[in-house]
Amino acid sequence: MQAQSESSLVNEVCLPFLRAARNEDGGWGFHASSESRVEPTAWAALALSETGSSKDLCQPAYNYLRAAQLRDGAWPSSRAQRVGSWATSLACWALMGDSESQLAVTAGLRWICEDWPRDINLFQRVIQKITLRGGKEIVSQNATLRGWGWTPHTATWVEPTAFALIAFDQAAAQLLPRKARSRRKLAKALLYDRMCPGGGWNCGNPMVYGVPGDPLVEPTVWALLALRDEPNRRENLMSLEWLEQNLSRILSARSLALAKICWESYGRNWPTSLIKLRELYAKNEFLDSVPAMAWTCLALSPGQNWLKVAHREKEL
Amino acid sequence: MRTAENALVPPFRRPPSQVAIRRASSYEEDLFKLTYETLLEIQSHSRCTQSSGDVSASDSPFTFADLRGRTVLLKPNFVGFDPLRVMNTHPAVVAAARESFLKLGAAQVLIGEGPALDRDTEGIIESVRLRDYVGPLKRTFVDLNLDDVECVPLRTRASRLGELYLPKTALGADFVVSMPKLKTHHWAGVTLSLKNMFGIVPGGCYGWPKNVLHWAGIDNSILDINAALRPDFAIVDGIFGMEGNGPIQGVPKRANVLVFGNDPVAVDATCCRIMGLLPERIKYLAGSGTLLGHTNAEKIEQLGESIESVRTPFAVLKEFRKLMEPGREKWN
Repeated sequence: MQAQSESSLVNEVCLPFLRAARNEDGGWGFHASSESRVEPTAWAALALSETGSSKDLCQPAYNYLRAAQLRDGAWPSSRAQRVGSWATSLACWALMGDSESQLAVTAGLRWICEDWPRDINLFQRVIQKITLRGGKEIVSQNATLRGWGWTPHTATWVEPTAFALIAFDQAAAQLLPRKARSRRKLAKALLYDRMCPGGGWNCGNPMVYGVPGDPLVEPTVWALLALRDEPNRRENLMSLEWLEQNLSRILSARSLALAKICWESYGRNWPTSLIKLRELYAKNEFLDSVPAMAWTCLALSPGQNWLKVAHREKEL
Repeated sequence: MRTAENALVPPFRRPPSQVAIRRASSYEEDLFKLTYETLLEIQSHSRCTQSSGDVSASDSPFTFADLRGRTVLLKPNFVGFDPLRVMNTHPAVVAAARESFLKLGAAQVLIGEGPALDRDTEGIIESVRLRDYVGPLKRTFVDLNLDDVECVPLRTRASRLGELYLPKTALGADFVVSMPKLKTHHWAGVTLSLKNMFGIVPGGCYGWPKNVLHWAGIDNSILDINAALRPDFAIVDGIFGMEGNGPIQGVPKRANVLVFGNDPVAVDATCCRIMGLLPERIKYLAGSGTLLGHTNAEKIEQLGESIESVRTPFAVLKEFRKLMEPGREKWN
């Protein structure tokens, strides 16, 4: 009965909210009545598609995303911006559901493969070693590994790296550039390197000034989703354990929905004793957040088709 | 209304600033009364300074009268989950400020924050129990990370950023109040009302963390952000602060003060002196003292408690020993 009440949230609240919050240009802002942006539009499109909404409802979102693509194949986080961003991975992911968007997706994946973060280089590492002279390193991590930054010319971080890896996973093999295989391998190694000492991830600093960083739910979820082709690897099991221990501490709909998605993607049963998304909605109506509504739809949808991997690494 | 029109003024042309230090030993005290009375006192002293002919006639006196019917934006420092309750501005301080500005006639007092490291702003504000202190948040709280944005050409060139996308709620507010926690910071030395303005830069454009600011230089970015959107007022929560490896992994430090002022640079300089640190050695504060406000103690009218009477030396990482006042020996 409870499960039924929880899943009815999708039809009673989330889908009506998403339909009403769509802007005339076909996109969504991060909140109801805000300007359209690439990321919330991608999440809303995925949610509508997953919940079986008609093509008439999804198509304006696809059109908005295609129109927002930059000439170099990337997507900016807001349409006013002129440089690519992490939203490129999300737009690619959302547009994979649209047969008319294959060219856009191919260009986007190519941009992701060409976008290298601005991490510390060999020369800077040598200088750092000399200046430290046995002192404490500010951050302890393997500086030779590379993933993706939030925006071009900035350092590697966990979430944009996970988004790119998931976009690669979702893409049909023929859409992926050749470089995707090597980038994927490097980025997966980076995610494992950036895991916090006891499992779980934060934004990407597992240790600062010798002090272990505290993991956070969202980066942990995205990293685990990006690494779910190795479900029994020690790091992933440790991180799932961290997530399980912290499920009862989650206070927001967005984190709860994402945690449920992640938990069930590893074939685990969601604990019934946890706070319900409906209870969180009663507290603050998800603060009118489009991603929270979309993720709630995705978390409560039975099929999880939006997460189905299009290929395995060996096919790349 | 915004005093930010006068953000870039050299010290010799800028009137003296008013900074009030108030003792408060608990968040259970009547912080509304304390805050409201302090705001009125600062206004009254500001008017006296102006009428004494101490400054050029072109400078308008600081007054809250113009707040009537206007929008005030409170910018607290909400960083993340904080079981010890020393990392984030305490919601009781935010609620007291909100009530005070409403009593002064503001049409609406919004609370806005854009946490740097955690995308789950909803989870953070629930964990600090903001709703328990200020009521329903749907129309009161703005996630500055995800707000609509506008491209703003920067007025200074300390960094090479040139322009920044900033949230429309912050740009459109008539009066911006920076409300940091009294903390040390492992990159910048201290994080107070100027560093707190990092939180208006939207993660929705720059990511979590807002790494573009780090590559542009933290000190330089602080200067450019505050020159673009200088807070009109600052209220620092120093009842409990954080020393050592702040702003997240430091150690709780009780200082039993709230610090108020109409010049964020002067407020930060005063907080440094309370913490036993030299403001002129903090790079971004020294830079701010040339254009954005006063660091020179002679140009700061001190109200309430004296610095000496509340001085509470904060431990710093050994990399920041040079910030300590002479004679101090404590560092982490």
